Amino acid sequence: MPDVHSEGTAIRAAAPSQAAIARRGRQLGARRNLLALAFLLPALLYVLAVTFYPAVYALQVSFHDTAYFTMGKFVGLMHYIRFLSEAEGRNNILRSLMYMGASVTVALPLGLFLAVLLNKPIRFRIFFRGAIVVPWLISQIATALLWGWLVNPQYGPVPYLLVQLTGVRLEFLGNPSQAMATLVLANVWRSFPLPLLLFLAALQAVPQDMLDAAVVDGATGLRRFWYVIFPAIRHTALIAFILLTLHYFNMVTLPLVLTGGGPVGATDVMTLRIFREGFTFYRLGIASAVAMIVFLLNLVFSLVYVRALRAEPLY
Amino acid sequence: MPSKHRLAQLGDRVLTYGVLSLVTAASLFPVVWAVLTSIKVQGDLVSYPPRWIPTQVTFAHYTDVFLNSNMARYFGNSLLVSALTILLTLLIGTHGGYAASRGRFRGKNFLLFIILATIMIPGVSVLVPLYMLAARLHLLDTYLVLVLIYTAWQVPTVLWFMRGFFDAISPELEEAAQVDGCSPIQAMYRVILPLTQPGLAAAAILVFVYVWNEFIIALTMSTKDEMRMIPVGLYFYISQFGVEWGKLMAAVTVAILPIIVLFVILQRRFVQGLTSGAIKG
Repeated sequence: MPDVHSEGTAIRAAAPSQAAIARRGRQLGARRNLLALAFLLPALLYVLAVTFYPAVYALQVSFHDTAYFTMGKFVGLMHYIRFLSEAEGRNNILRSLMYMGASVTVALPLGLFLAVLLNKPIRFRIFFRGAIVVPWLISQIATALLWGWLVNPQYGPVPYLLVQLTGVRLEFLGNPSQAMATLVLANVWRSFPLPLLLFLAALQAVPQDMLDAAVVDGATGLRRFWYVIFPAIRHTALIAFILLTLHYFNMVTLPLVLTGGGPVGATDVMTLRIFREGFTFYRLGIASAVAMIVFLLNLVFSLVYVRALRAEPLY
Repeated sequence: MPSKHRLAQLGDRVLTYGVLSLVTAASLFPVVWAVLTSIKVQGDLVSYPPRWIPTQVTFAHYTDVFLNSNMARYFGNSLLVSALTILLTLLIGTHGGYAASRGRFRGKNFLLFIILATIMIPGVSVLVPLYMLAARLHLLDTYLVLVLIYTAWQVPTVLWFMRGFFDAISPELEEAAQVDGCSPIQAMYRVILPLTQPGLAAAAILVFVYVWNEFIIALTMSTKDEMRMIPVGLYFYISQFGVEWGKLMAAVTVAILPIIVLFVILQRRFVQGLTSGAIKG
């Protein structure tokens, strides 16, 4: 800071009264608030232009007939009604909920369990944490390609090992229910480090002497978990649940590349329908309507979550 | 004679290390398998049962990826768009974060709410309109459109993240600087901003991982081969060259390598950045 001192001594030399200090404080405060406003505006205008405006535009398109990229006449809720009344649309909703529900049911407890293990005073902790977090760094597209190769029916190591160990020969992506299970497995593989890291951070905030005290009291593993650990991670569990479910619900890339929605629509989640209607068939009206339904469900989830977070006491 | 307590402790240790080792193996195996595949000769690739250890190591798949496909170009595209997005996002997000932390003006919380609410708009919901708008503005097949969209989707997260870092810095520090004659702008840039450097690094990593891995926007906004980003290049690799697993896994390895290398070097910053977002649709 070069010329700070010359001005500073001038102010100090004047030995200002209390009132003058307060006035100077208010002036600086006002200038800082103006500056803050100026700093916030770019972010605001930016998200309004690139996120809000397209969302409003999608809403508008969803109420109109479309031919390629031109909007035709107003058709009201026709696209919505068509989507919700046809078997394909109901299948899309069902598959989205299955994918989301199954993934979070596996990933969340798994993340918690591993976080508890990693929170112990163990050797090679940094190594274990680092290695276990790696899948979260891999893109969805790479995950899809890796898993497609792992479960390849001819040369894949996973089908081979399964046959060797259990004698069961599975089809993986070739069979409707197995394709959903494989997709969920690949998704859980990639995403479980997120809840793990969140839980680990929460657990590290639990004072070690609390854990030690529980040991002295003779609390067994399960009781210690319930009375000491669980209260400390409840809030985090809710946050992790929120982040994961919204993430899973809005995913496109992994299902698109690993299964493409097949076989026979078994993994055809809503987001794939949006992509297909929009960029394969160029039926932008119905694509936008499904997009709006996805958005709306996001809002519904969020409202439920906000209520849950409010009801949840902070530890 | 070991007491019951000691035995229980031993069992606990065995369980802990056993499970962690197993999960570590499961976490790393798909990546290791890809690397192994990428250095195998054709005979090893199509053997059944699968050959775990290559009989012969070859780098032919890598030279093929770099010489006979446009992967090097995609790599450059991804680097450029990542760098520009990091710059623009940090510029807007850091200033916004400062404002969120230090500003005291009416309506601040409302403005913040609007910015943060956009996190709730899933990317897939605005895919079609973004494509239509980009087409109308003649922005398809440009780096600019990718930078603009990625920045818009990362600014709220980075803003919120940086706000936390500004909040952790005592306001007395800049008040002192201001009493010493700094203007609020000087106080922010010269006194406060340098202290948030760890936050800036974590935010940059968060944005980098996001841009490097993003697929769906990159796919819809590019029609020309030379404008593809790395994930899009991977996607079309199969359709261009048929399913040749050796080459494909070499390409995948090249695509994930920069992230892994950065992670090994900067693990702590990574973990900080990764838990605070980067999960937009």
